Amino acid sequence: MRPQSRPFPIVAVIALAAALVGSLTVPAAAQGRFRRTPPIPDSFRELKLPEIQSIPMANGLTVAVTPQPGSPLLTLQVVIRAGESDSPRDLPYTATLAARMMDRGTKELSADDMENIVESIGGDLSVTVSMDYTVLTLQVLAEYLDRALDTLRLMVLEPEFRDLEFASTRRTFFYELQDRNKNPEFVGHRHLLRILFENNPYQTATWGEDVLKYVTLKDAHAFYNRFYAPNNTVFVVAGDVDGPAIARKIGQRFAAWPRRLIDRPAAPPAPTPNTKERVCFLDHPGSEDAVIFVGNLVMPPSASDYYPFLVLNQALGGTMNSRLFMSLRESKGFAYAAFSEAEFFRACGVFWAKARVAPEMIHAAVQEIIKEFKAFSSEKVVPAEIEEAKSFLVGQLPLKFESPDRYADRLAWVVALGLDAGHWNRASDNLMLVNAEKVIEAAQKYLPMTPVVVIVGKMEWAGAALKDFDAVEIYDSTGAFKTILRQGVEK
Amino acid sequence: MSKATTLLLTATLLLAAGPPSAWPQKAVSSGWRFPIEEYRLNNGLRVILSADETLPLVSVVLAYGAGSIREQQGQAGLAYLMENLMFQGSENIGPLQHLSYIQRTGGIVNADTTLDKAVYYQTLPSNQLALALWLESDRMRSLQITAGSLEKRREEILAEHRRRLATEPYLESYSVFDASLYPDFPYGHPLIGTGGDLESLTEADIKAFYAGCYIPNNAVLTIVGDIQIARTKELVTKYFDPIPPGSAVSPPPRPNFEQPREVVQMMQDASLPSPGFHLGYRLFPPQTGDAYTLKILEDLLFRGRTSRLYTRIMKRDLTAYYFWGGLENRRGVLALKIFALNTTDVMAERCQKALLSEFEKLKVGLVSEDELNKARRLFKLDYLQRLSTGLDRALYLADAAFAEIPLQALPSELEKYMKVSSQSLNLLVNRLFVPGNKVVLNIRIR
Repeated sequence: MRPQSRPFPIVAVIALAAALVGSLTVPAAAQGRFRRTPPIPDSFRELKLPEIQSIPMANGLTVAVTPQPGSPLLTLQVVIRAGESDSPRDLPYTATLAARMMDRGTKELSADDMENIVESIGGDLSVTVSMDYTVLTLQVLAEYLDRALDTLRLMVLEPEFRDLEFASTRRTFFYELQDRNKNPEFVGHRHLLRILFENNPYQTATWGEDVLKYVTLKDAHAFYNRFYAPNNTVFVVAGDVDGPAIARKIGQRFAAWPRRLIDRPAAPPAPTPNTKERVCFLDHPGSEDAVIFVGNLVMPPSASDYYPFLVLNQALGGTMNSRLFMSLRESKGFAYAAFSEAEFFRACGVFWAKARVAPEMIHAAVQEIIKEFKAFSSEKVVPAEIEEAKSFLVGQLPLKFESPDRYADRLAWVVALGLDAGHWNRASDNLMLVNAEKVIEAAQKYLPMTPVVVIVGKMEWAGAALKDFDAVEIYDSTGAFKTILRQGVEK
Repeated sequence: MSKATTLLLTATLLLAAGPPSAWPQKAVSSGWRFPIEEYRLNNGLRVILSADETLPLVSVVLAYGAGSIREQQGQAGLAYLMENLMFQGSENIGPLQHLSYIQRTGGIVNADTTLDKAVYYQTLPSNQLALALWLESDRMRSLQITAGSLEKRREEILAEHRRRLATEPYLESYSVFDASLYPDFPYGHPLIGTGGDLESLTEADIKAFYAGCYIPNNAVLTIVGDIQIARTKELVTKYFDPIPPGSAVSPPPRPNFEQPREVVQMMQDASLPSPGFHLGYRLFPPQTGDAYTLKILEDLLFRGRTSRLYTRIMKRDLTAYYFWGGLENRRGVLALKIFALNTTDVMAERCQKALLSEFEKLKVGLVSEDELNKARRLFKLDYLQRLSTGLDRALYLADAAFAEIPLQALPSELEKYMKVSSQSLNLLVNRLFVPGNKVVLNIRIR
């Protein structure tokens, strides 16, 4: 809402250059030859990360430490191996509500007291709940380590589940979810996951705010009792610390936390990839353009073809230089922007192409995306394309570790999903080992599968824009099913 | 305003930058644990280097004194349009290729325009430093703009502005409020303006702005990351030294504010969802040390759920459903700004009274040591977080250069904030939070 400050609109800037009418060249001095072509890069310096020091405690708690010498900040994360996919199927978001009760007070302290304790040490607390795990992050100044550990101990071991605080927490979360509905990309992505995760535990985190009313204080407390235990927790520390010394400090505070039998499957059942043609249209009255998602399920990050798939995704739709963008935008002019993305969970991954298009381009864009999927899996891939994608991914890797919070988040992801150390400090090697054959193999395995198509736009566009699809399921913006259109007409 | 800019409040209070310098590693807790070196090329380009080998990355920031303060009456939006045109290609680089070259390396690229400068920045693998310098130097020396691309960008900016006006109902109220809080065109007009000026900008305006502002002697190049100083200097010389300097750049206009008493305005708009208000204090001219005190005051009032004003408005009184407050720095002109949305007119009035009563409390009593310590620690965490990446530090150094802060002073900067006392807070509030500095814009929906 502040007019003087705004992010640079990359998508807007990558607009097609209009017809060249006259020129306004600013004269330059005669140039040296070195200016004509891009310079040759210096020798590449590989990313080296410190090993994760994993220190087990007697009660099953694991302390995972990665030293960051010289950092004046400490990032402490309590990672609980239970996320939204562990919420009861009929009570979505129980995991989130349980996690958000952690700083809402103890028997002796109110929620205000807890907030005051955190802020009095200059702490920055956040709670994030993903499909597979929950993270309480406390970032503090290094000199407040002891007080920060005391604070986390209070939160995790002594939370008090009070009715009033629960009602307030649920109300706040309700409005957050409601607010996210304004974003058509969020709505489309959520619906894609909902379809792909039908009848799977991962579907719980794909519902709208209305389901929150079913979750009670008792449910949140039961979730806490079921999953919050030392033998289901990893305590992650990133900062200028000594592993054994900090493990001792954590041990002193968390030793009394009793081990508990955890009733959680080693991995949730892997959902089955989509095999039948499904096109869904979500009515989103505020949309300016249509947003298209075309996606399906792929492998989990522990699979052997994970890294080849990352390269595939990059070559297909990672940047403005990738196939989808070059085809849908630059060559055909079907889309304002077109990229592909993937996210990975414990049991599977989800991959999708995403495009922003004018309503009249919806069908053409969907067809073109599917055509690009098929082309990648059936036509010859140019090795240079693969090398460029690898170069991007390897070059981008250090950025994932630059800020203390991103560094700790990456570490939490590795330990929470139980991934091998290669995902932490050998990702660069793993990417470099990928060759064209492995990429083609991954493409042939995953891209020909029939994807789910999700379109978000205004209902008034539906008749004309959807007439070329055989059947389209129509939903409102919350994802509630309304009707089916055949060739754009309700029959 | 960039995030780093908000910390640089000492702009008008400190001496101009000294000669080239370097210092050994200072205390880790200052946030400045890597040496910094600066020098100038013959063409006037100021270069700041800081080597940090933690990760194989380098951040390159090129900042020009080409912000909206350089716009004349009738040119609002020119600086922002220019920023966008800088991606449309130069003698050796095609339209938008700057973005794709950086993206190919896995790097990130962005730009930002503020009141006093236009900043272009990228972070990429450190072995690609020369690529960033090649790209930046080419558009500094030979930007190429077609009439077609100019029109296209203008249309896109206007469309984007219209979309924002449609989706952010209070956007216009910010512009109205700023015009009162900074009643001086160069300091008070919004980045894009109303759109009217943008439509009438000519190719000649663009050319003149580029020729006058996008020149080495009006720019600062900051390079932070995994660099070897000698090699980096060699590359900087190769790419930038041959670029001729432009004409001498006059200093930006000095602010000229005259406001004998408080200003209270009313904005009525039936299309808005609810009533609310903007409340601000213009804190100009500041005295030595005010910048540090004001920053701690900002955190005491606004940062966190236990801050003084959040507690009063959002927890105790419940008179607002949305509340934002913070300190703003427009090239040394400081202002404390508050924006609140309320369910009814009565709530808006109560909310405003409550806020003013909190300022009165600060005038008559001293802040407790506990409360002050909390504000100091929250500030310190935020300060260190904002310096945690190479790009953060590169942007901060560029901001510091434009604010004329000696770089040697940076390692002792944090300590100055930590020394702010309850007495200095009390004196400052009594001196600056007076009717003559106060501006209110009430928003009503009937």
